[in-house]
Amino acid sequence: MRKADEQGFREFAAANAASLRRTAYLFCGDWHTAEDLMQSSLMKMYMAWKRIKDLDNLIAYARKVLLRTWLDEKRRPWRRAEQRDGELPDAADATVDPDTTSAKLWARELVHTALLQVPPRQRAVLVLRYFEDLSVAEVAVAMGCTEGTVKSQTARGLATLRTVVEKLDNSSGRVAS
Amino acid sequence: MSEQEIREGMLLAVWDEPPLDFDPDKLIRRVEQKKSRRRALVAVGVATAMIVVTSLALPGLLPRDQDGQLASNGQPPPSSAPPSVSAEKKGQRIGDKLTEKLGLRMTNFKEVYASFRGGAYAYNPNSPTTPPQRPWDPELSGFVHFTDEIGPTALRVILTKDRTVAEQICAGATTCRDVAQSDGTTVTEAQIMEGQELARSVVLRKFPSGYFAEISSFNYNPATGQGLRQAAPVPVEVLTTLVTDPDVHWE
Repeated sequence: MRKADEQGFREFAAANAASLRRTAYLFCGDWHTAEDLMQSSLMKMYMAWKRIKDLDNLIAYARKVLLRTWLDEKRRPWRRAEQRDGELPDAADATVDPDTTSAKLWARELVHTALLQVPPRQRAVLVLRYFEDLSVAEVAVAMGCTEGTVKSQTARGLATLRTVVEKLDNSSGRVAS
Repeated sequence: MSEQEIREGMLLAVWDEPPLDFDPDKLIRRVEQKKSRRRALVAVGVATAMIVVTSLALPGLLPRDQDGQLASNGQPPPSSAPPSVSAEKKGQRIGDKLTEKLGLRMTNFKEVYASFRGGAYAYNPNSPTTPPQRPWDPELSGFVHFTDEIGPTALRVILTKDRTVAEQICAGATTCRDVAQSDGTTVTEAQIMEGQELARSVVLRKFPSGYFAEISSFNYNPATGQGLRQAAPVPVEVLTTLVTDPDVHWE
């Protein structure tokens, strides 16, 4: 690869690695796996960089690669065995406001725990639409499906998410709005 | 739970993300290593496939001689070892020489011809079946057929590495003696008499390499097991001249 192309990839990777890892985390629910997914996706992009470097929306292509990588990873038998739905903090953070932290932890656990119970493709649609803030058309491109499918998957995903959240709220004694 | 709450919840879900330790250069190095490993793997695969294809295709592409042996453009093989001759070819060559030499020595013999066979022990050439191969069978065996005043009969010829041939030659013999030859070989001459008549004359030439060449004359036709006669038609002296003839290449 030419030095200029390599530099272009280096800049793209450095600028988007963090956001890709966040998206990957919402897909898989584990920061280590998220980092692996992000690195695998960027490696795939590097190998195809000569062909894709001139695309209009490279980050959309990166999301598509990330999604494919995650779905492929999920199909592997050794990944099916483990299903994490939360992790305990190593130590309490005394520097932040307890009320704010509590609210954040509740929101995080609620969304994250509930999100992990949504089927993978519906979860992907929800993450791309509500976390990445993509339009239906953009999600359809990323998912490689029609806009109608995106809409139906979104509706089903939301319904599943709400059902799980309701159950979690009832068990913890809180009321969802 | 509204869509806005889901949006906020997702943002909150990643608020405590661990620090990112990402180095694009390290990633590029990993990709390059992976690429070179893949190239090496492909090269090994292609080389293996080429070797397999060549080894399968080469025997079919090389020209063959009449016996189906691989030929090499009429050039001798590069090694110093003598060219390998099939047992049938060797038998034919020895048989032709013995036929010629016997005809010269025994001028009264007519219709002299040889029949040799590789592997199997001396057998009846008229038999419709081939006897099964046994471990002690000689390398080459056959008969030199001829017709004298009494009728058709034959000499039996054996070429073997089996030592038992040498051990048994004198068993039951009326006379048996070893005659050392100037070329380092030894010829054992044996005669078995039945009364005053020669029932069997046999000579055995022992080569330093471990080869044994044996020629026998019987008072019957060994090729058919029939044709019983009063005495063996070829005396031991004539058999000795045959077995020691320098034109007959036994080894």
